[in-house]
Amino acid sequence: MSYAYLFKYIIIGDTGVGKSCLLLQFTDKRFQPVHDLTIGVEFGARMITIDGKQIKLQIWDTAGQEAFRSITRSYYRGAAGALLVYDITRRDTFNHLTTWLEDARQHSNSNMVIMLIGNKSDLESRREVKKEEGEAFAREHGLVFMETSAKTAANVEEAFINTAREIYEKIQEGVFDINNEANGIKLGPQHLPSNANTPSGGASASQGGACC
Amino acid sequence: MISSFSKVDEYGFERPDDFDYKAYEAFMSRYMVILTRRSMRWNSILSQQSLPDGGTMKRFVRKGVPAQFRGKVWMMTSGANFLKSRQPNLYQDLISDTSHQNWDEIIQNDLNRTYPDNIYFVPSSDGKLNSLYNILRASARHNTSVGYCQGLNYVAGLLLIATKDEEQSFWLLTVLIRNILPSYYSSNMQGLITDIAVLGELVRSKSSKLDRLLKDLHLPWPILVTKWFICLYAEVLPVETVLRVWDCMFNEGSKIIFRVALTLIKLNETELLRCSDFGDMAELFKQITRSSSVLDCHQFMEAMFKLPGSLPSSKIDSLRIRFRQVNVDR
Repeated sequence: MSYAYLFKYIIIGDTGVGKSCLLLQFTDKRFQPVHDLTIGVEFGARMITIDGKQIKLQIWDTAGQEAFRSITRSYYRGAAGALLVYDITRRDTFNHLTTWLEDARQHSNSNMVIMLIGNKSDLESRREVKKEEGEAFAREHGLVFMETSAKTAANVEEAFINTAREIYEKIQEGVFDINNEANGIKLGPQHLPSNANTPSGGASASQGGACC
Repeated sequence: MISSFSKVDEYGFERPDDFDYKAYEAFMSRYMVILTRRSMRWNSILSQQSLPDGGTMKRFVRKGVPAQFRGKVWMMTSGANFLKSRQPNLYQDLISDTSHQNWDEIIQNDLNRTYPDNIYFVPSSDGKLNSLYNILRASARHNTSVGYCQGLNYVAGLLLIATKDEEQSFWLLTVLIRNILPSYYSSNMQGLITDIAVLGELVRSKSSKLDRLLKDLHLPWPILVTKWFICLYAEVLPVETVLRVWDCMFNEGSKIIFRVALTLIKLNETELLRCSDFGDMAELFKQITRSSSVLDCHQFMEAMFKLPGSLPSSKIDSLRIRFRQVNVDR
């Protein structure tokens, strides 16, 4: 299917916080109570529309256990957006956010948009992390924040789409170099014919395939 | 369609909705004959005073170890029996150790996510989840350089299904971690990263077109094959095929893992080379692990020792040294 842009996302956070379930809810609109463990990396993709433009999100879902970071770390670079997920019912997953964030900032390009997500908001009775704490952490580190439930789908669309909107705005402001694929953004075939914004000399070889 | 095969296979796995019963039935009618013959042959060698020499054993193992002998044969060929003979009470000591370790929670959390499509792994009092917990907990205490690494749950779970014996499963898991595999599960996964680079190099030398295509698509090998290596093809290939691969891995060592990967790639090379899209290629690398050519485990095993060509241990060893150095330098 044709699209104007492709944005690459990465989902990170401790094991068991619901990363794969968030992805499944976003791409397939369903919830799987018992989800297989993610070993290494899995992929998802979905088309969304922003400002009348078709945007393809290519989402990389990563294993959460620390040992796998030696592998997943190398995928941060080349991502335009990251969803950093914790579980509101497990305090330790919130406590580890600083490490995740340091890791992400160190290995990604500086313009990557990071969305902080407190997942499992449907489990109010087991809540260990207050919403205000998530908000404060996000404010302190310059992140966008949202509580979601992969189970009820609450805020799941918004989390993925708002991140895309931020990236899109950064493109409009000229912050992202869209001809450098290392930024996690690729121009789609739809975009090419009428696009006057492409800087001259941007005949990038990577456009050859005109695909995902 | 109507089939004589149940929705659940002989190992307790629910067959997927799109399971090809017709192809499986055709394969099983051929394979049952082979299994019967192998069973008789194994019965006769195992009843003798001493085991056959290495060459005969290798030939026997490559043709498949009958299900009822798997635990026993794997324990002998892998060296697990030897480890056990040096510490015969170790497993009992480990499982009666009630002290708490940080691994315990993560192991507990992963139990329900291990083979949720297997009837023995659904939470119930008579299932295998408690045994799986014991094995992983004991392994984390004994194999301290690893502790617990996700993926070991799948390996241990399938060992338990195949051997039906908790203690044997523990020793087989231990011999994999300590002797057979080069640090796949340690905190920096050095051995895994090296082996994936070695596979990349083998593909480059055996199928340079595919190597170039993957580079053009910006698709690094770890994305495609991390799960293959970490899970030793459990939860990747059909169960019977995994067990046949493990027969050889316990006897011949970790180089078998490369043979499987190279065979999967060789069998599907034409189709892989037609792919021109990142997402499609990633998906295709999943599909090739479920095709009818891997479901027929006997045929797949024959292909495995032909298609990739010669793969001497000395070559793997020198590539491992070369790529380990590259990783260290980086």
